Amino acid sequence: MKNLIQNTLFVCFLITLLVGGVVGQTSSSSASASPTVVIDKDIQQLKDKIANKVSEIRKENNKAISGFVLSINENKMKLNNSEDVNQVKFDDTLTKAFKVLGTTKKEIKTSDIKKNDYAIVSGVVVDNVITANVVLIDENFLVDSGKITEIDKENYNIKVLTSDKNTYSLDIDTGTKQYLINIKTLERETIGFSKLKEGDMAHFVVKKVGDEKDNNYPAYKILIIPQEYFIK
Amino acid sequence: MKKETITAIILGLIFGGVVAVFISLKSKDIELSKNKVIAPLEEKSSSSSLVGAEMEPLEISEPANNGIVEKDTIRFKGTASKDSLIVIQSPIKDLAIKNTQGKFDLEFPLALGENSIKIVVYPKEKQFRPQEKYMKVYYIDSEL
Repeated sequence: MKNLIQNTLFVCFLITLLVGGVVGQTSSSSASASPTVVIDKDIQQLKDKIANKVSEIRKENNKAISGFVLSINENKMKLNNSEDVNQVKFDDTLTKAFKVLGTTKKEIKTSDIKKNDYAIVSGVVVDNVITANVVLIDENFLVDSGKITEIDKENYNIKVLTSDKNTYSLDIDTGTKQYLINIKTLERETIGFSKLKEGDMAHFVVKKVGDEKDNNYPAYKILIIPQEYFIK
Repeated sequence: MKKETITAIILGLIFGGVVAVFISLKSKDIELSKNKVIAPLEEKSSSSSLVGAEMEPLEISEPANNGIVEKDTIRFKGTASKDSLIVIQSPIKDLAIKNTQGKFDLEFPLALGENSIKIVVYPKEKQFRPQEKYMKVYYIDSEL
């Protein structure tokens, strides 16, 4: 906060200098042509300095947060995340919202954002409220890894125990991307469900929608490091 | 009783007490030095095999957790134990490499928006547990 005030004062000082320069130039423009060129150059330098400083300040105070939308109205929304900042303020002139569609994006209105959407917000944080520059509506992915402890061949499900003692139940369906690391080349190879073994290490990605039960998810992607790698 | 006799008795008691305390302490020391700790052989050998074995911790200098970047690629820079297997995974990329140098500098692509990334290092020495780090990196296009 103190830093923000200091930076703001600095920018005000620079703006004062710029305005002073412009006023000075106006009053002396009728005197001669050559001093104007010099002043123009000075003004340009000042403008550049201000632009750099503004960009620097913006970068310094720019933060990004994410979470599922808990509530939303015309000019603000609240996200459910465990961070200090979860209040988002929209600015009519500044805030832009997009829906991420794979590798592309589509501009939307903030009024198109609904409860339970997963929102990624970037903007400036003041007093634990973020004023959104950009809002992206996207999918929420969870990335984790652990040892395969159980394989249910009938239901195409595996249980994975992570290092923090969480057990995930992962459904492997036709859409799941399944890969195995070749222990000699360390290249990734596409595999089928039959290649999975208890004791292998599984690195996985799942999509979270927010209402999962018993840590059960359809797996989006799994990468297997076979146990043979560790006993060679 | 004479005054001299009483003084002699008191001095004798004090001297006797000092000698008794000294002997008691000395005998305790001798007893302790003769005691031996009997430990199971397995425990002794396992602790000796780990002597001198230290694993370099996983350190990531770049990128910063929860950082915002304007490019669709970043470089993972840091250190991990030599000859360990480093696995970096995100929804759009899986990377597995052997860390032959100890230091690493790896290019990694980002998707627009939030990138949840997990880094796991499997040390060459099997007695050590894998090391893990989880981070989020936000790719916000500067044109947005």
